[in-house]
Amino acid sequence: MYEAQRSLASPARNPRMATVIGRLLGAAFLICFGTGLYSHFLQQPLPGMRFATRPEFLYQFTEGTHIIAGMACFPLLLAKLYIVFPDLFAYPPVRSFVHLLERASIALFVGASLAQITIGLLNTYQWYPWPFPFRQVHFALAWVLIGSLALHIGIKLPIIARFWRKRADYGPGTDHLTDAVPVERVAGTEADRLWGSSRPTGLTGRLIAYLDATPPAAEKVSRRGFLATVGVAVAAVVGLTAGQTFAPLDAVNVFGPRKKGVGQQGVPVNRTAKQANVTEAVIAGWMLTVAHGGVERSFTRAELERMPQTEVTLPIACVEGWSQMAAWRGVRLRDLADLVGAGEDTSFRLVSLEPRGSFRQTQMGPEYVRDPLTLVALELNGETLDLEHGYPARMIAPGRPGVLQTKWLSRIEAITA
Amino acid sequence: MNQVSTPSFAPAPEPEQAAPGPAMRVARASLILVGAAALVWGVWVMFDTVRIARLPGVALWVGAAIVVHDAVIAPVLFFAGVLLRRAGRRLAGTVIAVLQGAIVLGSIMTLIVVPAIVAQTQGRAPQNPTVLPLDYGTNLAVFWVVIAVLATAASAVLYARSRRAEGRRSAVGPSAEP
Repeated sequence: MYEAQRSLASPARNPRMATVIGRLLGAAFLICFGTGLYSHFLQQPLPGMRFATRPEFLYQFTEGTHIIAGMACFPLLLAKLYIVFPDLFAYPPVRSFVHLLERASIALFVGASLAQITIGLLNTYQWYPWPFPFRQVHFALAWVLIGSLALHIGIKLPIIARFWRKRADYGPGTDHLTDAVPVERVAGTEADRLWGSSRPTGLTGRLIAYLDATPPAAEKVSRRGFLATVGVAVAAVVGLTAGQTFAPLDAVNVFGPRKKGVGQQGVPVNRTAKQANVTEAVIAGWMLTVAHGGVERSFTRAELERMPQTEVTLPIACVEGWSQMAAWRGVRLRDLADLVGAGEDTSFRLVSLEPRGSFRQTQMGPEYVRDPLTLVALELNGETLDLEHGYPARMIAPGRPGVLQTKWLSRIEAITA
Repeated sequence: MNQVSTPSFAPAPEPEQAAPGPAMRVARASLILVGAAALVWGVWVMFDTVRIARLPGVALWVGAAIVVHDAVIAPVLFFAGVLLRRAGRRLAGTVIAVLQGAIVLGSIMTLIVVPAIVAQTQGRAPQNPTVLPLDYGTNLAVFWVVIAVLATAASAVLYARSRRAEGRRSAVGPSAEP
């Protein structure tokens, strides 16, 4: 067993490396948490919350960052777990009640982190092979995760502080396992105590002898190789997927769940008309109704087309991390709001034709309603809006998640407080 | 098991280092308190927004994640490392590091991309041609070929360099290297 322990030892497994990788992973977790909270509150604002509408690509940036940092977590988390793996076999397993709590919190931290990035990854391609709702669990786990992170940093703070800066010598007791234990001294006596002879026999003995005879890794090379591997892995998983939102990397987007330009009219689709049960029959005789107080006005598509048209270039940016710039043409929402006499501070409820779906009804604060870039879009990239993109009309506003850019728009009503 | 009872990560007693100052104590206490509060809040949110019947599924996924890592990924990596070091006992450490790095890089990418390949026939992707539109299997194969070629080239260079260095050492004589 000791020989196995020694084989587990690696020059890359030391507290300095745990601090170095831990910092990066902690930063990635914080970025994911911050951008995730932003996306959450955009979709479920607390009463009175208002959001920035500029820059127009704000949400594209925050949500793209959320997914990119999440992807980077895969190599970083695996590296961090690799570094601290021997701690799993700490002996005695539990020293005290506090130590038990600490180990339990680490287990929760590790499990929640792995589960969180896994369900997050699968959500980016809309695969849900689990028996729970994604959005709620991803949100709750994020709090568990960030709490566990603070707890973990608090517990390890003396070690982190000691190994924060690179130093030639961190003092005694800080080396990795191979150096900490003189092999000759311990191996013999431990083997004697454990097996009553210097060597166990049979399969176990042969396995242990095999492991024991394995040459140890060269130290400096091993450490540098480890860091280089982590760096290249992060660059690879990010670089080969981020093209789904970050245009300069589009050419090397070989593993991204979405591809820029792939979709009707060159724009990917989050939810197809068929998935939303929106058919030609559903949109037959379509009118857009705008309501405020007692005033209610309805417009056919032809009537909307006769109103002053505005052209904007705005990204459609999805919660799943992809985004696509597009040219939109349609009627300013604030013009419609003015027609029914809605004031500057009025929020609106947007209702889709789709019979059901968690975003069939959404709300829009006055900062978006009054924004000159917010349109009831009738055209996309120079053509009549495709049914997949929300024909007869859809919302497009700067800096909002795609799920709030209501497709198959049928009713816009002022929310009276 | 004595050697294991002093894990390298435990803060070792250091006579030359002073006891942690009050700033450290305050920082630790606040981090632990804030962390515990956020953790409890997360659990409360979970109970508040997810139906009770669904919660065992969450626990199962969190638990399974630990088991998959600790009982599958880590041991596979461990034995792969042992095998590689055994097989390469005559190779320079740099060559082994390059090969190890290449295998780990390919494995991590495989771990991330294989679910995408599976998801092309599962979930909602089959109903929406704009989700997972690429040929991920082919791309992954190309990725492996590229890293294999790069790793082989790098290994060849490093191997030649270490052989040259060895040649120089043996020319100087055995006393040059202990």
